[in-house]
Amino acid sequence: MIDALLEGLFLVLQWKAFAFMLLGIGLGFWVGLLPGLGGVTTLALMLPFIYAMKPVEGFAFLLGMHSVVATTGDITSVLFGIPGEGTTAATILDGHAMAKKGEAGRALGAVLASSLVGALVGALALALAVPIVRPLVLAFGSPELFMIAIVGIAFIASLSAQGGRGMLRGFLAGGLGLLVATVGQDPQAGIARYTFDSLYLWGGLDLVPVLIGIFAIPEIIDLVVRGTSIAGDLPKGRLNQGALEGVKDTFRHFWLTIRCSLIGTFIGIMPGLGGAVAQWLAYGHAAQSARSAEERQGFGKGDVRGVLGPGAANNSKEGGALIPTVAFGVPGSSSMAILLGGFFLLGLVPGPDMLTAHLTVTFSMVWTIVLANIITVVVCFLFLNHLARLTVVRGHFLIPVILVLVFIGSYTSNNHYGDVVLMLFFGAVGYLMVAGGWPRAPFVLGLVLGKIVENNLYISVARYETAWLTRPIVLVLMALAVAVVLYPLLQARRSRSRRAEHG
Amino acid sequence: MKSTLALTIALAALAAAPLSGGVQAASFEGKTITIVVGFKAGGGYDRTARILARHIPKYLPGTPNVIVQNMPGANSITAANHVYNIAKPDGLTIGTFNRNLVLAQLTNVRGVKFDQTKFAWIGSAASESTVLAIRNDLPYKTFDDLKKSGKTLVIGATGPGANTYDFPLLLKELLGVDLKIVSGYSSSSDIMLAIERKEVDARAGSFTSLRPFIDRNLVHPVIRARATEAGIEQLPVDENLASTPRAKAIMALRSAPEVVGRPYVMAPGTSDDIVRVMREAFSKAINDPELVAEAKKGKMDLEYMPGDEALKIVKDVLSQPKDVVDDFRKYIKFGE
Repeated sequence: MIDALLEGLFLVLQWKAFAFMLLGIGLGFWVGLLPGLGGVTTLALMLPFIYAMKPVEGFAFLLGMHSVVATTGDITSVLFGIPGEGTTAATILDGHAMAKKGEAGRALGAVLASSLVGALVGALALALAVPIVRPLVLAFGSPELFMIAIVGIAFIASLSAQGGRGMLRGFLAGGLGLLVATVGQDPQAGIARYTFDSLYLWGGLDLVPVLIGIFAIPEIIDLVVRGTSIAGDLPKGRLNQGALEGVKDTFRHFWLTIRCSLIGTFIGIMPGLGGAVAQWLAYGHAAQSARSAEERQGFGKGDVRGVLGPGAANNSKEGGALIPTVAFGVPGSSSMAILLGGFFLLGLVPGPDMLTAHLTVTFSMVWTIVLANIITVVVCFLFLNHLARLTVVRGHFLIPVILVLVFIGSYTSNNHYGDVVLMLFFGAVGYLMVAGGWPRAPFVLGLVLGKIVENNLYISVARYETAWLTRPIVLVLMALAVAVVLYPLLQARRSRSRRAEHG
Repeated sequence: MKSTLALTIALAALAAAPLSGGVQAASFEGKTITIVVGFKAGGGYDRTARILARHIPKYLPGTPNVIVQNMPGANSITAANHVYNIAKPDGLTIGTFNRNLVLAQLTNVRGVKFDQTKFAWIGSAASESTVLAIRNDLPYKTFDDLKKSGKTLVIGATGPGANTYDFPLLLKELLGVDLKIVSGYSSSSDIMLAIERKEVDARAGSFTSLRPFIDRNLVHPVIRARATEAGIEQLPVDENLASTPRAKAIMALRSAPEVVGRPYVMAPGTSDDIVRVMREAFSKAINDPELVAEAKKGKMDLEYMPGDEALKIVKDVLSQPKDVVDDFRKYIKFGE
């Protein structure tokens, strides 16, 4: 196995493969930065170019591109509050809040450093998982996937404000998200739900326009109203020193970064959960790491841990998502589904063979992820301070550019005017939520998990009736969900009694 | 002022008329042809369109640019509506969409704003055969074993309207096979995984998408629908096992569009010249050795069916008697 590991590295380091990887990185860099232009679409568009390549070159190209998208997508999220990718929205909450406090550099440094850690953990997981991957993935059936989604929903408890009122609002917002996820044709009886006879709504709501609306529009309105730059009128000196501080933050909260990377990897490994879930679970976990109620209130207002968690999970999930793709020929995410097409084009049949006969190719993929991420992060650091300076440009100059990106970004998801209407609608919803003090994170969590909850619950009941409730992993996850809900309550009580002692 | 404007517009229209008319249309020099795909990038319909877009230009007079535009939505009804109502009949817009749209029209699905028989049909680029594949570790080797076993077989499916659901549904309802259909899997590959962990016993789907797993000895096909491909000719065909003519008609109706697996059409009213040129180009491109080699690598099996044959099948489906259609609607719902 060590031989294969080294051989895989040398394969990637051949000049041709390496050159293709750099090309892929260059492409992915821009795709990630631009909102709406997603990694999935770009992978599909690039697929035909690999006909003439050898397997290692083809994967260096595709994976190089793919690994970078998540990293640079976070940059757009932090700077402008627009999700650069559907999977990078969670970074906005604290990342953009930091940018508004004049700490854009620090937020970017943190997101890049945690991305790198995440990618390395994901790649390591891919390498280590090789012998145990099949039993691991097969242990998680529909009942277990349902319970994972329930644990995810339980995280709403830590994403909501303290107190009964805050919790109520959080869970109501989450419930709204679950409801919104039911729009479209249902997969059991084929009934159209909430489609109002519109063809556009038939296929359900696309995540990207909704996310752009709910996060970017309130930010734009805020920027217009303030009439200043994103970072307000803070002294400019702090911007430039920030990046290094962000890197230090990553190591200050190293275990959190590692834990969130593991969450991302795990979500990536589970086929059918989808990339958008990883970041939100990691964010929920990061918010949980707050040691006191006061600390928790800082989340959403620019706590660096809220940047580190999603930053790490977003990149580590890619290594994880490769695992089922390689081992079963079953893609773990939509980009992996396209990558699977790439396997065939290159004459490889994904499946158990990839872990034995073609092990070197598999390891060359691991190395591509590692190298591509290191290169991107190093290159990004060269630009970082320039990027951060965008937050001191006056709003008047930025808003037209951001608006164009927002409109094009939503339109590209289906090339349908409905995308724009949807974005504006959820822009209004997002603005009202912010104005009324309702948390947006639980809403998005509900939206992202809605289909997973519904379908897997249906399958579990249809297949096992009630017997699935006693499966061991289901029970463990159930206990975990309860713990996740109770933890913030216990914490609040503890800090209250502590205050009582001191007072 | 107003009248001069009207005059200018009229003159401009006159000047433009010969260009868009049939006379010079046979040459596409300097033009761009758009293939509108009714699905997102990356799926089977999209990949077929993209491989054609690369190889078709050299067989068209004037070697135009051919590009692919994805127009997903409502299971590709949106794209078909666009080609039917908005695209000009100038040969510069080609549509490819869900093969089952003809069934959507047949069953009066809301939102359908096209008549399949009025499209200018280029033809079909492939036929897609549906099979039911069961786990190799189960004791049933053939469809007969399965029927005789007296045990319930659990089928994983995505949802109504997909062949993962509709094909086994008819086997259950019309042939009386003891099946339990569990739907809600988000994609056919998720069902494959459910098969690996033995959550379900079998799944239906296109032979193309199942082949890698058949090759890996995970599953084997036991019954197929009418359309066939090399390797599965010997399997029993669902409609031949039907005991009543009505059951046979319903199964035949479900599988009819599969022979026109990748439909390609242009706007109604496209001149015969353009249609002829386009059909010829498709036929040549699909047999082009370079395309064949690429398709083989991508595990795609392309086969050209001329437009008049495709149109004949479409007309056949749409001319079914009302009572058959009503029965059909009881079982089959057009959807994703």
